Amino acid sequence: MTAEAWQIVFFTIEVSALSTLLILPLGVAVAWLIARREWAGKAVVETVVMLPLFVPPVATGLLLLMLFSRRGPLGSVLQRGFGWDIVFTWRAVVLACAVMSFPLLVRTAQAAFEGVSSRFEDIARTLGASEWRVFATISLPLATRGIVAGAVLAFARAMGEFGATAIVAGMIPRKTMTISLSIYQNIQLGHDAAALPLLFVSIGIVFITVLCGQIISTRKRPR
Amino acid sequence: MSLQLRNIRLPLADFALETDAIFDQPITGIFGPSGAGKTSLLDLISGLRRPVAGAVQVDDKVIFDAADRLNVPPRLRRIGYVPQDLALFPHLKVRANLLYGYRPALIENELFTLGHVAEVMEITPLLERNVTTLSGGEQQRVAFARAILSAPRLLLLDEPMSSLDSRLKKRLIPFLLRIRDEFRIPLIYVTHDAGELVALCDEVLMLERGRLIGRGSPADVVA
Amino acid sequence: MYAAASLTDALKEIAAAYEKQSGDKLRFNFGASSMLARQIEESAPADLFFSADEAKMDALEKKDLLLPGTRRSLLSNVLVLVVPTDASAAPKSAADLAKPEFKKIALAEPQTVPAGIYAREYLQKLGLWDAVKEKVVPTENVRAALAAVESGNVEVGIVYKTDSLISKKVKVAVEVPAAEGPKISYPIAVLKSSGQPDRAKKFAEYLAGPTPRSVFKRFGFTFAK
Repeated sequence: MTAEAWQIVFFTIEVSALSTLLILPLGVAVAWLIARREWAGKAVVETVVMLPLFVPPVATGLLLLMLFSRRGPLGSVLQRGFGWDIVFTWRAVVLACAVMSFPLLVRTAQAAFEGVSSRFEDIARTLGASEWRVFATISLPLATRGIVAGAVLAFARAMGEFGATAIVAGMIPRKTMTISLSIYQNIQLGHDAAALPLLFVSIGIVFITVLCGQIISTRKRPR
Repeated sequence: MSLQLRNIRLPLADFALETDAIFDQPITGIFGPSGAGKTSLLDLISGLRRPVAGAVQVDDKVIFDAADRLNVPPRLRRIGYVPQDLALFPHLKVRANLLYGYRPALIENELFTLGHVAEVMEITPLLERNVTTLSGGEQQRVAFARAILSAPRLLLLDEPMSSLDSRLKKRLIPFLLRIRDEFRIPLIYVTHDAGELVALCDEVLMLERGRLIGRGSPADVVA
Repeated sequence: MYAAASLTDALKEIAAAYEKQSGDKLRFNFGASSMLARQIEESAPADLFFSADEAKMDALEKKDLLLPGTRRSLLSNVLVLVVPTDASAAPKSAADLAKPEFKKIALAEPQTVPAGIYAREYLQKLGLWDAVKEKVVPTENVRAALAAVESGNVEVGIVYKTDSLISKKVKVAVEVPAAEGPKISYPIAVLKSSGQPDRAKKFAEYLAGPTPRSVFKRFGFTFAK
């Protein structure tokens, strides 16, 4: 493993961690809404949330490219408002990872909330708790284990993200080069052997991550 | 304290709960076979379920009126609830469970302090324990105490002793009487056990398939 | 025919006329010459290879994948620096690329794709490569670099003159004179693995003829010496 390869590994870990942290608040909120509330059009929202799981990743990448390019509806706002460039920067990598791993987080967190008996929440209400207090002191703590498992899955997915990232962030050495993009580029260049160390490292990291997630979510909790 | 249910209609799975009744005794029992709608009746009194028609009034305050689209949420009704499975919060210790609904500002006298309630329910030594490590009878008393500490003006109990053996039931009955006498909180007590009815209730309403089919003293009803 | 991306529009026009005239059907696989060469090495089914640089053709010749006697250098091209048509800033010379107002420079992959290699060699010759390489956004082929400039996501790109001519969304800021720039050469050859070598040879020879030449000229290509 060369120094350059280690830079790629650490960069990938950093963007994956950042993207996971960024989607946590919204993901948990959406998961709770889907688990605990009904409203007209809920099925549409659920479908949109799940889309990145089924739409071809490069298609998602294209959509992100159109939205966040300097001239795009969202990209131009960010440019003018904060001076941020998204496409072809590390921000695009975080964006692609966040979008692609969001459904995994929501699905797992949703199951976690559904696993919390609504009786606990009801009794909390009769004891005078506001909806926010019920969420913060009852629903969230009891669902924490599942939410953490969801975050772990989202992180693992982000570590392996390729299609959307390739489109919207490009493969710029030291700036947007993730493990998957680097492996792909090495294959393109004919340097298959150079890709191997990265391949093993990435499998190793994801293996450990998913294993931790499994352990966290299946450990027996006191009932 | 008087609780009035006027022309209530709440559709359930197989039939609709339809009642018109007044509860003004210290301890009113609700007696009926399982599936009669007893739990749903308590749910609608506490505000956890919304009838499609009718009104609910406590003393001179209307807390629900379908026609006027008036619905006071559970957290503002000050109606305590001890459900069948007790719903003690598993992630909180006994003390935290007890204090969950405790709001000193609401308390009019020193009866409703943690120290006093714990003493009356004889759970003072248990305060630092995890609720999941308590025995059945101990959990029961903690559930009573938690509801009392929210200083409710009415307490609903849903077959609170159904999972206890008769020896334990005998031991717990005095605690319920203490709630009536020491704390002066009126109780609505759902059960299908005749012995509990006789020991506790001043009046009993009989519920069958969603309708109140009779009302009288425990002795009349049980005969 | 596997052909360099920069030849896309010219070849499609030539092919339409050729198919009518000869009755032969042509199918193209356009892409970066490096990627196409790799596919050919991995036994992808191709009859002809029209590359944007000699190096890729040399690699295939070394591996004995070319039909002897069919290789010839056909076209040349010129590098240009392009900016979006509505750009407020444009470089006046290659040296301007080092200036801070040009934050991102799109090039085809500078290690493997001919257009990127030519661009890098030119910048290296001018001593500018080290100054600008941090700003480079490498793309899969030269058309992707063009698209990046068109979208406005990069401030400037280095592509072939022929690419700049087909796009209305970019304008040429600097043209690299042929004498100063790298020697660009597009060779063509029939592949040994071709199942119809005679037809392939016929098309390759046709491409050197007057009608295609005028099409290439119209698209901005020049001719190999």
